[in-house]
Amino acid sequence: MDESEDVPKDFIKLKSEKLSVEEVSELVISPYCGAVSLFIGTTRNNFEGKKVIHLEYEAYTSMAETEIKKICRDVRQKWPSVKHVAVHHRLGLVPITEASVIIAVSSPHRVESLEAVRYCINTLKASVPIWKKEIYEDEYSWKENKECFWANSEK
Amino acid sequence: MLVLYFARSAELAGLRSETVSVPRQITSLQLWEEIVKIHPRLAVIRDQVVFAVQQEYVLLGDQLLVLHPGDEVAIIPPISGG
Repeated sequence: MDESEDVPKDFIKLKSEKLSVEEVSELVISPYCGAVSLFIGTTRNNFEGKKVIHLEYEAYTSMAETEIKKICRDVRQKWPSVKHVAVHHRLGLVPITEASVIIAVSSPHRVESLEAVRYCINTLKASVPIWKKEIYEDEYSWKENKECFWANSEK
Repeated sequence: MLVLYFARSAELAGLRSETVSVPRQITSLQLWEEIVKIHPRLAVIRDQVVFAVQQEYVLLGDQLLVLHPGDEVAIIPPISGG
């Protein structure tokens, strides 16, 4: 089999429409791969006892895409057997329980794609300029990822 | 220089982007102080922001920036993607 027929690809998209698990997982399927690993980040209905009505995401889109490309590049250095990587992140208003991010990675065997998908989401939370606002019944709050090194350390 | 504001910094500044004139060579901390002169309400997030200069992260400090007309500088509050 000539594996050059299915060259490794990165699929990166930030969009305001609902994300599709099926679409993202199909992007990375390859006849050379026996594993597709997925991470789906969904929106929760509560925070510290407060009822969350919905969430709103915004991004520095051009830089966010650049930072996600860097993550994909790092993945290929760390796990050279990884085939395709897909990262879709939703922007704008996201109702409770819907996906805010879906990451899919394919590899010939499962270990590499499982490790790579974990690396992708952890690094995304630390370095990609996207912001989430949680809207409660009578207030709101800008969230801060614990992975963000310049966030206020008391939080 | 084009300054971009996001999330809480956009709320405090009351806008999302503007053109600002600053010296061509300036430390990142001096640049922050120039921006706070224009938008004093931003002072409260001094310890919680970094810049992205031409889409590369830069901490507020002594680092000397060499800015060109049209360069893009973004105020980056703590991120919360994912």
